[in-house]
Amino acid sequence: MPSDPRGGEGGEGSREPSGPGDPLVGIGNDEEQVSPDVVRRAQRGDAWALDALVRSLEPYLGRICGAIALQAGDDALQEAMIAVIRNIRSLREPAALRGWARRIAVRESLRAVRAGRAVPLDPGAALAQVPALDDQATAVEVRAVLDGLAPEQRAVLALRHAGAGEQEMADLLGVAPGTVKSRLSRARAAFREQWSS
Amino acid sequence: MNLPAARLDRIARLHVLAAGLPGVAVHETTFDAPFAQVWGWLSDLERSVPAFDSDVASLVVLRRAPGHDGGERLLIRSRSGPTWLWLPAVFDVDLAPGWCWMASRPQTYVVGMAAEPDGDRTRFGHLEGLAFSVSRPWAVPLVPVLALSAWRHRRHIPRDVAAMARHVERAGG
Repeated sequence: MPSDPRGGEGGEGSREPSGPGDPLVGIGNDEEQVSPDVVRRAQRGDAWALDALVRSLEPYLGRICGAIALQAGDDALQEAMIAVIRNIRSLREPAALRGWARRIAVRESLRAVRAGRAVPLDPGAALAQVPALDDQATAVEVRAVLDGLAPEQRAVLALRHAGAGEQEMADLLGVAPGTVKSRLSRARAAFREQWSS
Repeated sequence: MNLPAARLDRIARLHVLAAGLPGVAVHETTFDAPFAQVWGWLSDLERSVPAFDSDVASLVVLRRAPGHDGGERLLIRSRSGPTWLWLPAVFDVDLAPGWCWMASRPQTYVVGMAAEPDGDRTRFGHLEGLAFSVSRPWAVPLVPVLALSAWRHRRHIPRDVAAMARHVERAGG
C-alpha cells in the first residue's frame, strides 16, 4: 500500500508542492497555453482556432471533470467544452481563459454528479483506461479513494490542484471562503485516511 | 501519476466544434464495418468524397505535409457538380486516423468527419455547413442565413452518410 500521497502539510492559503508520490500531480498548469491570438480567432468563429482551442483545453479540463465526476467525467467534459465554445465570445480577456473554462468544468462536473450520472466505480473499466502498466494499480486505487469522497470534496481537491484560490472556489461552490477551508481540510484528511487504510 | 482523466472522443469533439459554428449540422451514425475498413475508404478523399457527396464532381490533392497525431495536412481542390455550376473550391485539410477537418479558403465552408472503433462496427460523425459566426455586429444579418444552412445540412448530411455506408460496408466484401 502506498504511503501518504500528500507529503507535507501545506498552508491552507498556498498551493502545496507536489512530490513524486503525489497522486494529485497532473492537475496543474502544465498544459500548453492557448495564445491570445487563437482565442481571438476562435471568438470570431475561425474553424482552425476553435479546433486548436478544444485540443489545448481538453487535457486540463479532462482531469478536472475526471476527478470530480469520475465515470460521468466524459459526459461532463463534453458539456463543459460545449459551454466553453458556445460562450467563448463572452470572454473579454484571453489570458483569463483557463480560469474561466475551469469554472465551467467544475460546474458541469458537479451537475453531472448531482444528476446521478456518476455510476458506481467499475475497477475493470478504470484499469482499461490507464495506459502505463506501472501506474495501473495506483491509478485504480486513486480512483477508488476519490470515489469514496463526496463530490464537493473531490471538487475542492481538484480545484486546489488546478490553482484555484479560496475565493474562486467559494464562488463556484456557493459557500463561504471559511467553508472552503474546512471542506478542503476534511477532503485532504479523508483522502489520506482512505489512501492509507 | 495522474488523477482519472475524462476524455473527449473524436465524435464528441465534432459536437463541441459545432457549438461554435451556428451554420453547421452534425449527423451521427454507426457503420456496420470495422474502423480500418471505414477509415481506409473514407481517408482516400480523392475517391471517397465524389462518391458519397452528390455536390462534388471531383477532388484533387494539391499538396501534402505532415500533420499532428500521425496525420497529414493537405491542400485540396474540389469542383462542384452542375447544381453549383461546377464551381471550384480550395480547402485546407487536417487528416489523421479517425479525424478529418476541412475548411475552405477563404473560410466560408467547413466539413468534419470523425470515426471511433466500436467492436466490429464504427461510430461515425459528420459535420458540415457554413463556417461563419455572428461575433461582429455586421454579421447579425447572417443569422437567418446560418439557420438556413444548418437546416439544409440537417437534411443533406444523412443522404451523404447513407451513401458512405453503402460504400464502406461494401468495401470489405
